[in-house]
Amino acid sequence: MHGTPSAPQRRKAHPASGLPLLLRLALRELRGGLKGFGIFLACIALGVAAIASVSSLSRSLTEGISREGRRILGGDMAFSLIQREASGPERAFLDSRGQVSVVASLRAMAVAGEKGSGLVEMKAVDDGYPTVGALETDPQLPPGDLFAERNGAFGAAVDPALLARLDLKVGDRVTVGGANVELRARLVTEPDQIADGIGFGPRLMISQDALKATGLVQPGSLVRWTYRLILPPALSNEEGLTRIEAEANSALPEAGWRIRTRLNADPRFAKNIERFTQFLTLVGLTALLVGGVGVANAVRGFVDRKRASIATLKSLGAPGGQVVMLYLTQVMLIAALAIAIGLAVGAALPFVVTGLFGHLLPIPIQPVIALPELGIAFLYGGLTALVFAIAPLGRAHDIPVSGLFRDQIDPERRWPRRRYLVALGLSVAALVALAVVAAYDRRIALMFVAAAAGSFLLLRLVALGIMGLARRLPRPRRTAPRLALANIHRPGALTPSLVLSLGLGITLLVTLSLIDSNLTRQLTQSLPERAPSFFFLDIPNQQADAFEAFLKGQAGDARIERVPMMRGRLVTLGGRPVSEVKAPEDIAWVLEGDRGITYARAAPEGSTIVQGSWWPEDYRGKPLVSFESKIAEGLGLKLGDEITVNVLGRNITATIANLREVEWRSLGINFVMVFSPNTFAGAPHTHLATVTFPNGSDAATDARILRSSAQAFPMVTSVRVKDALEAVNDVVSQLVMAIRGASSIALIASLLVLAGALAAGHRARLYDAVVLKTLGATRARLLSAYALEYGLLGLASALFGLLAGGIASYFIITRLMNLSFSLVLSGALLVSSLAVLVTVGLGLVGTWRILSQKPAQYLRNL
Amino acid sequence: MKDKAIALHDVDLSLGRGAARVHILKGISLDVDRGEAIGLVGPSGSGKSTLLMTMAGLERPDSGKVIVDGTDLSGLDEDALARFRGRRIGIVFQSFHLVPTMTALENVALPLELAGQDDAFERAEVEMRAVGLGHRLHHYPAQLSGGEQQRVAIARAVVPNPAILVADEPTGNLDESTGQSIVDLLFALKRDRGATLVLVTHDLNLARLCDRTVRLRSGQVDGDGEGDGRADASSAVA
Repeated sequence: MHGTPSAPQRRKAHPASGLPLLLRLALRELRGGLKGFGIFLACIALGVAAIASVSSLSRSLTEGISREGRRILGGDMAFSLIQREASGPERAFLDSRGQVSVVASLRAMAVAGEKGSGLVEMKAVDDGYPTVGALETDPQLPPGDLFAERNGAFGAAVDPALLARLDLKVGDRVTVGGANVELRARLVTEPDQIADGIGFGPRLMISQDALKATGLVQPGSLVRWTYRLILPPALSNEEGLTRIEAEANSALPEAGWRIRTRLNADPRFAKNIERFTQFLTLVGLTALLVGGVGVANAVRGFVDRKRASIATLKSLGAPGGQVVMLYLTQVMLIAALAIAIGLAVGAALPFVVTGLFGHLLPIPIQPVIALPELGIAFLYGGLTALVFAIAPLGRAHDIPVSGLFRDQIDPERRWPRRRYLVALGLSVAALVALAVVAAYDRRIALMFVAAAAGSFLLLRLVALGIMGLARRLPRPRRTAPRLALANIHRPGALTPSLVLSLGLGITLLVTLSLIDSNLTRQLTQSLPERAPSFFFLDIPNQQADAFEAFLKGQAGDARIERVPMMRGRLVTLGGRPVSEVKAPEDIAWVLEGDRGITYARAAPEGSTIVQGSWWPEDYRGKPLVSFESKIAEGLGLKLGDEITVNVLGRNITATIANLREVEWRSLGINFVMVFSPNTFAGAPHTHLATVTFPNGSDAATDARILRSSAQAFPMVTSVRVKDALEAVNDVVSQLVMAIRGASSIALIASLLVLAGALAAGHRARLYDAVVLKTLGATRARLLSAYALEYGLLGLASALFGLLAGGIASYFIITRLMNLSFSLVLSGALLVSSLAVLVTVGLGLVGTWRILSQKPAQYLRNL
Repeated sequence: MKDKAIALHDVDLSLGRGAARVHILKGISLDVDRGEAIGLVGPSGSGKSTLLMTMAGLERPDSGKVIVDGTDLSGLDEDALARFRGRRIGIVFQSFHLVPTMTALENVALPLELAGQDDAFERAEVEMRAVGLGHRLHHYPAQLSGGEQQRVAIARAVVPNPAILVADEPTGNLDESTGQSIVDLLFALKRDRGATLVLVTHDLNLARLCDRTVRLRSGQVDGDGEGDGRADASSAVA
């Protein structure tokens, strides 16, 4: 051919001509709007928003803790000692480095006469408190007025919860140990609150002088002394902090103190945030994966709608691979929009939370745009879109141009070409790698990946099984069931996408419901029969026998256990310093901070020797220790190894004589480490006692024991087990609420996918409905056929969800939470029944709309 | 065979699977000269469109040889076939098949863009003016009449200067007068550029405009005779 037209009338460069061809064409295609991509956008945006929100909030919290480290810690550095004050050389070391302030904290009983008594988390502060930040009280009093001794009573600031619990008001007095304490103000803000962790009782803040007056500070009593150090500016940089920590460890190796710096003010809290963030991120990822089904459905519908354009492009010279890349570019542009929405929500959340609730939060939050975390959420969104879009897009490669010449009655559904399967495999591998690499606990991430993959595979098999079964069943004679069966297995049936979205949704619901009910049961209903009603702490050694006798008088037939108790920090394990030991995640707590330890002549109840043997009752040789077997295994300890603990500022080395299995859930007294009695001969210590009623106790008995014990032994701290569990339950409830919040995103995604799948099905069945109505089928008959179809699919998905959710929750409860599992089916059955009803309802609502259409207008276009 | 625009030798083609498999083309041999216009006619189901698609490399025969513009199509894989089509064959469809999200100009520029031509839009604009749509460059297909859409489709088919133009019922979706103007345009462009034109049609009057008419029946050539070739007498580009 010749004759290229002459004298081209050049127009200005085409607006998009500078862009690469694929991007240029994809942008042109996007002019058609986002029709059919609503579910796609919502699913990706929701999932990314969930992940980005969780990680942004988490980063803002850790950033807040890091920036506010000085306030949280009450200084640049904090040196904590348990059961003893700093020795002369220790105090001299601290004084030589900077300005020192002291805070002592302990649990104690506040007695309000006839109004009863309550456990309080007591904090005794010195004159300079707070050295960093501000103490806010109501009324706001200067420290001198707030804490000073006046008219025979020391002043105190009190958590309003104690006022409510004991029916007290500001100005009333309580007794703590041997001191009278006047409650002069309500505590509003305590700058260093979170460094003290979760308390079992309300805060009572008094002065150091008041603490001395209580008489509660006895040798061995469980008082934590924290020395906060304000360093001169020249020393308060990172280098200075590290150097002083090193100097403290080398100059005073036996101090046994826990040293924290403002750069790492609350490592345990930060670690817990990180751990919880991972869990919520996995829930967010579940939302993304569930939404992925919606992505795949949307892309499949998109490719179907674009068959003519795809064939046209191929007829104009575009190879199949180029066409796929063009539409992949378009899909990824839409995904990028969805991801941008999700990221914007996630990035904004910390600012919104701080703006709305910042002043109410007990923990500092420093809203930041967490770029690395947002980057990870971006990758999650992009990879999920890619994983679920590749296969349906890959099929576009083989859409024949011949479809432009003749109608394709039944387009063949074939596997995409190998290159797309390889690309799919690589994207799945990248998504798995991201989930594992970005995880705090890779074992949990791998379990999640396995569970997700298993669920997808199983649900696919379930769908194929249902379709196969429907195909093989004899044809019913009645029209409605015959239509329902045919709809279940016909080409292009709703079955795979409906079973997948509904099955995943119900599995998630059942899993959450069972975890929820098991946690509630464990915390509120199923206290072990032999669980004690009370723990009594800080029983002075010299009053131990008298207190036990007193308890026997008060509690009658109750069983009373009493053991000596002190606190100690592990220093070395098998000759290796603890700092060099890599402990598995679930037992690392043993190496963090100090642990309760005891000594005993005989093996404690509730434990079984599994290796080695117990020492003779009159053993007098080298110090021996009995170690809990699972923890010993995790730490790589075996019989004969030596461990060193620092107790009361002395390093004590003992040899492991035996390993014990401990039944922790009995809530009886037990310890990770039990030493031979000669190890701590003569060391000051207190006792720990429990009271266990054979048939449990009632509230009146508990109140009577609390009151009389507080009056007769004011030095002893009483912890009612039910109250302690309630405190734990409160925390767990808040965590469960957070999990429910994140999970609801996954459920919304699941519902969106379901609605999308049903809507796609509606388009296909418009044809059936119009033809059948033309042939005389009534709406009622068609509706009953569709209801039967949705009901059968819903039922099959519900059965799968119950089974898979049961197995998933069993593993989470027993393996991850180390709790006992109970199959409480009522909640699970309720949620799955609701899910089936929602499916049938959603399906029929859409179908009714179709059935109400007049056939004529559609027949013209069929 | 090299000097033939299209040479088919003993082409057999079946479509469908299993019981639904239908033997469509049965041992067809056919040569088309360069610059020749042939009309493929025959009843529905006789294999006209399938033969056209086979000539355009859109269907692969089960057996036999298809040589187009000197290239044996059986030696090309899918991607090479697509590129070959983009360069050497222009296709005009009954239903136009413009990409709805692209303007008329962009639709015409598309094959040049796919072929990596830098001057795609300049050349497309020239073709748009050549088919009388210089004033509709930035309209979308939905904003054009059926006749205008088919003119855009023809401009798109000829813009890469293909050696062969194939058209499947190009007037099938148009009214009589619009159809006539499209036919005039198609033949004028074919004549001006010396391209080979293969036309599938039910319209015997249209077929007669061609140099040659090939009649198909049940997948076989039932008649091969000269047409009136009257189209070359009419000349105007609409």
